[in-house]
Formats: sequence, C-alpha cells, structure tokens
Amino acid sequence: MTSTLFKTAARLIVPLTLIFAAYIAMRGHNSPGGGFIGGLMASVGLILYRMAHGRAALLRLLPFHPRVLVALGLAIAYVTALVPLALGQPLLTSLVIDGLYIGLGQTIHFASAVFFDIGVLLVVVGVTVGMIQRLSEEVDSQHIKESGCPTTAASSTGGNPR
Amino acid sequence: MTFVMALCVTACVGVSIYLLLGRDLKGVAMGVFLLGHGANLSIMAMSGSPVLPAENATAAESLKAAPILGAHVPSPALANMVDPLPQALILTAIVIGFAVMGFLLTLLIITNRSTGTLVVDRLANEPVSTTRTDTRAEPFLPSGTPS
Amino acid sequence: MNPSLIVLLVIIPAAAGLICVPLINRLNTCRLVGVVGFALNLGLALSLLGACSQGDTSAIVTQLGGWSAPYGIALVFDALSGLMVAAASLVALACLIHASGSLPDPVERRYFHPLVNFMMAGVNLSFLTGDLFNLFVAFEIMLMASYGLLVLGRGKAQLAQAYKYVLLNLVASAIFVIAAGMVYGLLGTLNLADMARITTELAARDALPAGFTAVGVLLLFVFTLKAGVFPLWFWLPDTYPTCPIAITALFGGVLTKVGGYAVARIFPLVFLVGDAAAVLQQIILIGAVLTMAVGVFGALAYRTLRRSLAMFIIVGVGYALFGVAVGEPGAIGGSVFYMAQSMIVMAAAFLACGLIETHLTSDDLSDGGGLLKTHPWLGVLFLIGLLSIAGLPPTSGFYGKFAIIRDALGAGFTWTALIAIGVGALSILAVLRIWCESFWGPDPVVQPRDAEARAAALAREPSASGYAALVLLIAAALCIGILPQRVVGIANAAGQQVTDPGAYIAAVMGPDARPPAAESHHDTPAPAPAHGHDAAHDTGHDATHAPQTHTPAAPHPPAPEAQTDPTPDPHQDLPVAQPAPDPVPDVGPVPTPEPEPEPEPAPSAPRTGPEFRVQAHGQQMAAAPHDPAMERRP
Repeated sequence: MTSTLFKTAARLIVPLTLIFAAYIAMRGHNSPGGGFIGGLMASVGLILYRMAHGRAALLRLLPFHPRVLVALGLAIAYVTALVPLALGQPLLTSLVIDGLYIGLGQTIHFASAVFFDIGVLLVVVGVTVGMIQRLSEEVDSQHIKESGCPTTAASSTGGNPR
Repeated sequence: MTFVMALCVTACVGVSIYLLLGRDLKGVAMGVFLLGHGANLSIMAMSGSPVLPAENATAAESLKAAPILGAHVPSPALANMVDPLPQALILTAIVIGFAVMGFLLTLLIITNRSTGTLVVDRLANEPVSTTRTDTRAEPFLPSGTPS
Repeated sequence: MNPSLIVLLVIIPAAAGLICVPLINRLNTCRLVGVVGFALNLGLALSLLGACSQGDTSAIVTQLGGWSAPYGIALVFDALSGLMVAAASLVALACLIHASGSLPDPVERRYFHPLVNFMMAGVNLSFLTGDLFNLFVAFEIMLMASYGLLVLGRGKAQLAQAYKYVLLNLVASAIFVIAAGMVYGLLGTLNLADMARITTELAARDALPAGFTAVGVLLLFVFTLKAGVFPLWFWLPDTYPTCPIAITALFGGVLTKVGGYAVARIFPLVFLVGDAAAVLQQIILIGAVLTMAVGVFGALAYRTLRRSLAMFIIVGVGYALFGVAVGEPGAIGGSVFYMAQSMIVMAAAFLACGLIETHLTSDDLSDGGGLLKTHPWLGVLFLIGLLSIAGLPPTSGFYGKFAIIRDALGAGFTWTALIAIGVGALSILAVLRIWCESFWGPDPVVQPRDAEARAAALAREPSASGYAALVLLIAAALCIGILPQRVVGIANAAGQQVTDPGAYIAAVMGPDARPPAAESHHDTPAPAPAHGHDAAHDTGHDATHAPQTHTPAAPHPPAPEAQTDPTPDPHQDLPVAQPAPDPVPDVGPVPTPEPEPEPEPAPSAPRTGPEFRVQAHGQQMAAAPHDPAMERRP
C-alpha cells in the first residue's frame, strides 16, 4: 500500500473527498446527505491519507487526539439544541430564515439545524478516525496474527509505521 | 418489490443466524452486523401506509401513501412521495449499528490480546473470579481497595 | 413551569459526560462534575414530581423541536417516569461517590465518568420518552455506555463474560428495530400515545391487525431480556458480578429496571387490549412467576455474595412484572413502588458488598463470617439493605410486595399470589443466609498461609466515600420504608395513569384525542363507544389511516369520559395524591407551533400543504443526522 502511484493519487483524492464531504453535509437539510454521511466521507479521506502516508503523517494533519473532535462536535450539537431552550422554545427547535442574504445578490435558505449537522460531522470524524487509528495501531504493533485479529480495516492499513 | 425485500430480509437474517450459532466470535460479530442490516431492510419493507386497509381507499392508494400524508393525497405532486419516516429510522439504526460495530471489533481485538483466543469454548473456560473454585487461582481483586 | 425543563433531566448528564471527555485526566474535576450533575438531576426530578403529584397536572409533556405529538418526539414526565428518574439519579449519585473511592485511578481514567454520565442520559431518556423508536435510541445510548463500563478494567473473566451481555443485547436491539418497523407498518405511528389511541379504537371495533400480538411478543422479548426475566435471565449473574463493584451496583440497580419500566409503560398502554391482552398477559404472568422462583432459588444456591445478590435483582424484576400482569391500578402502583425502591436497595446491597469484600479476601460466602465483631455498623447497614430486598415490614420493600399480592388475590390470581408469598419467605431465608454467613457466623477456617492476608484485609482502612454512598442509599431506603406515604401516593398515581391510558393520551396528544373507550381495558372488555358504532367506525378509520387527523368527526363531548373517573379504590389505604382523572387534563402549555388540526376527518389541503410537507421531516431522532428523503425515488 505504499506504492508511489497510490501516494500520488491519495494526494489528489483526499482534498476532493473532503470538499465532497462538506458538500454532502451542507446539502443534507433538504436533500439526501447530512452530517453523518459527510462525516463518514471525510473520515474515508483521512483514512486514505493514513493508508498512503502512514500514521505520522495523519498525526501531522490532525495534531490532537480525535476525542477533541468528538467533544467539540458534541458541544456544538448541544449548544444548537439548547439555544432554543434558553429562548423559551422546546429543545432542538430549528430557527429557519428563508431568504438569508449572504452578499453578492445571493440568498440562502438558512436553518440553524445546520450547526447540529456540523456537530454530528465532527463527532463522526472523531469517532471513526479515532477508532481506526486505535484498531490499526494494534495491528501495527502486534503484526497480523493468523488466528486473531479481525482483518477488516486493519490489515490494509498497515502501511509503514516508520 | 415487497417479495424481493422479503427475500433479502430472509437471506440476511438466515445467514446471520447461521453465523451467530457458530463458535468463532469473529463470525458471531459478522452475524450481528448482518442481523442489523436485515432489521433495517425489514423497516424499509414496512414503509408506506399501514397495512390496515382504509375502507374507502383503493388498494393502490393504501399501499402507496405515506401515513404522514393521510388517506388522501392532497396534491398530485405528492402522489409518489416516499414515506420519509422509515428512512429516518433506518439511518438512525445504521448510525447506531456503526457505533456498535466499532465497539465490537475493538472488543474482539482486546479479547484476543488478553486471552489469546476468540473461540467461544475456550473463552468460556476462562476462570470467573467470583466463583468459588477460582478465587484461589486468580485472587479476587477487591475493587474496594483504596489505591 | 416551563415544560421544556424536563429535557434537562437528559441534558444534564449528557452535558456532564461531554465535559468529562476532554478533562478525563483530571479525575477530581470529573468526579465533581458527575456528582453535581446527578445531584441536580435528583433535585430537579423530585421538584418536578412534587409539582406533578400535588397539583394541577398529571403529566408534563414537551415536544422536541416543537413538532406536535404524533410527528415529533414527545418527552413525558409523569408519576411513573418521574419516580424512576429520581431513583435512578439517586443510585447514580451514590455509585459515583463510591466509585471515586473504590475504582483504581487508571480504570477511572478510561472514560469511566463520561460513560456513567452518558449511560444515565440514556437511562433517563428511556424513562422520559414517549416514542417507541426514541426508546430504541435511548436504549442504545444506555447500552453502548454500559458495554464500555462492562469491560472497564479489562479483566480476563470480565471480557469473556461480557460477550454474553453484549451479543444478547445486540440481537435484542435488532429485534427491537424490526418490531418498531412492524409497529409502524401496522399502526402508522410510533408515538406511544398515538399507538395507544389507535389500538384502543381498533380493539373497540375488534379490528386489531393480524400480527399485533406477535409484535407485542417481540417487544416483550426485548424488554424482558433487558430486565432479566425468566428464560432470558441467565446472562445476568455471569456478567454483572464481574465488573468493579461500583459499576455492578449501578447496573444492578438501574439497568434491569429500565426493561421493567418499559414493560410497565408500554404494555398496559398499547398492547394489553382486545385479543392480544389475554395472550400477552399470560406470558407476562408466567414469566414473572418463573422469574421470581428462579431468582430466589439462585439466590439460595450461589455461594458467592455478588452472584447471590445478582439473583435478587431477578427476584425483584419478577415481582415488578407480576404487578404489571395483575393489571389492577393498585398492583401496578405496587410494582412501580417496588421497582423504585429496588433500584435504591439493590445498589445499596452491592455497595455494601464492595465494602465487605475489602475486608475479606474474596466474596465467597464460605470465606465470610465473624465480620460483625470487627465491623458492626457495616453489618447493620447491610442487614437493612438485605431486609429491604426481602421485603420485611419496616423496610421499604414491604409495601410494594404487599400491594401487588393484595391486588393479585383480589383479582383472582390466587395461585400465583401464593407463589409470590412463598418466594417472599424464601427470600427472607436467602438474605438471612447471606448475612449470617458473612457477618454473624463463626470465623471461617483459615489456612495458615492465608491467615496473614486475611488479617491484613480485616484491618484495612474503610473507605469514607464508600460508607458515605452506602449511608446515603440506606437512609433513602429507610425513609421510603418508614414514611412511605409520599412515594406510595406517587406510585399509586402512576398505577392509575398506567391503567387509564386516556390521561396519558390526552396529555401527549392534546385533550381532543381521547379515545372513545378510555377505560381500563385489560380485564373488562372495552365498553361500546359512547357515540354509537358509526362514529367510532369513522374515527377508527381515520386513526388507522391518517394519524394526523386525530380528531374525530364530532368533537367528543366531555360527558362520556366521565365514566373513566375511577371510583374510590377500596384498596387505597394510604393517602394518595389523585392523578387528576380530569376529562380535560391540564397538561400545561404544550408547545404546539403548528395549529391544532381541523376537526374534519377528511384531510384538507392546509394540513398537508407544501409547507407542512417540508416540516414533516423535522421529526427526527436527536441522536442522529437525518436523511429527509424528500426526493422521489428514482
């Protein structure tokens, strides 16, 4: 998994994946998509990067523990859910502004639920990346035993632990 | 379509039960994941109107309409509306299944590392520290010990 | 009071868990956050219960996101859920205090605090939610956290035994999903109140859909697996005792009661109607009796303290289900009371067990004995806990059993009631055996090589936090036992609410949505609807097919509902806060941004116009992002 071809392709594919993830997450309010799917897409990109360039490279890209992402995402989602409560509305009420002017003559349909979705995205990225990091660390350190390890994501993420 | 769905559910659940009855925990885990997929598909098969026929609705109507629309489709544009709720339910179940999958795989790895086996029989022979015979073999660590 | 406040019962533990995630290495902060959170929860639950039981409202309802009842997720705080939340919060508080002294620090750093808090968020959500699928989500939140807690510390036996719990619960979750899908397929709704309304009407027309009983059995399987009822109890004495004792106490106190609560909430409300009632009631009854019997024999047979106590959890669940199966308001009230006190008492017994283990070399009963000389107060506390479990009169377990058996005898369940009495007697024997062997009996025969270890263990310094937690729980149990009026009042109110679904439906769906036959409907056949067959037919049809037009053709006059006014219960010997059997219950300002539905059966354009369509997908599980799927299928 460390061929030059793969590394070069990954360098191109990863940014595209992340952009596509953002697109999917943003359109999720009224169309198929949403925070969970966008988050999965983004984590696929990050994991691809890890497969191509190894663990240290991913650590350079995300220089903190993935649980920070989880906490941040949960915090954003909670705040989004709780703000209506503070305003006397039921929990999770979505504030909708139909034609929010965003400059350059453009308006968008804005719903505060988008922040909830962003929170979900961050949680999903944090959980997935953290999980696969841990699972593949296990494999990196232990080397694949024939009898033991489930070989789903792990065997292919071996890479060069450097 | 319902028949195809039913076949898919049957296949998923059947295979998963076969896997669940095996002795290897890897297979059991796969069976659990597959059972989740079977459950999701079965929700998909339930989508649409309630099975109870409305007395004045035609068969086609009562099969198609999402319960949220009611017995009468208010506008032609909504005539083909797919029931959104089952899809929301399935997505929720998928998200939960994803988390469960991560946990179960991690648990398998940890178990394999600490006991060296993933076969149910051998795991079952692991001494349970609270039973009488094993307390000597594996001294009971009182969790109340102030550390 | 703002009804939205009840979400705080879920939000506080969830937020506390969130705060603990980044601060996981600062144990003292985490402990403080958890303790403050649970204490806040307890206070909030008690004050809401006070508001609920004394006065004007029988249930506080909030609709998440402002989507009114059949579409959105309703959270319902009434006497039943409130009592459960309060007891669970108290148990969590005590277990956290105990854990801060007893768990080794490295274990505590492995996300113990976030997991406990998230688990309690899931537990509280299970108690509060008024939506079947949301109940599934709540179960999953609770279970995911409990899986984590179960393997915390990673003992070998712990890992090996954890698979029973994890895999069984995963299979049960899949079945829950299938059952929820079937409910949706049959009834077109997942809101519990709406389901109850529809099934009541269908039962009155004798038109329950085929497969309704099967769905009930599936759900019963799911809930009774969580509760540890007879054929599905075997995992419990294997898994719970392997955990660190604070976690065992939390699980033993709280988790099984969630399953019991779900049965008590959902089955009388939705499934015990018409033909289904007879079958399901029999299943619950037989399961309950066998559970009691198995539990008490297990408790007598096991030679280790933890497992014997774990079997008492099963006995308690059996009693609780027995009350539900009897189905009289008083019996269900007794069940609710019993479940609530059992949470507290079981947790107390396990915490005491943890303290005993620090002074013995194992939890094996044959290593016990003679502890009373060195640790008299621990013996007294443990004895109070054990007697409460057995249900001897001055303690808290008594009233619940008494009410259940009294109503069972009154309702003609003579044999089962006699079995329950026999189980009670055997329970006393079992708890006395446990106590005598650990405290009162002669000193154990100690091998010379073990003597030093034993002496060291006996002389071990008792942990202050452990005793504080134990005293907290025992004091609460004693208060409930000696002055049970308030709790019994709340529990009886809960029993009334459970047996009269009309109040629940009205609280959640709005007062217009009362079913025509809002009568306690398990043993007596539902009376003919008051407005004649045709009207009922119409409403039934609407209900089954168009859940949103939940107002019948003619708005109900309040007169027919007056029949639901319960006659004074001859069994109620204690002052009871009446659960406001008002035909038009004052449910507080239910936030309904949407206009009330037109009282016409034919759905008209305003209800289902494009705007409504766009809103419709707002009803979502809070735990997940959603795919509104507004696009047509290709």
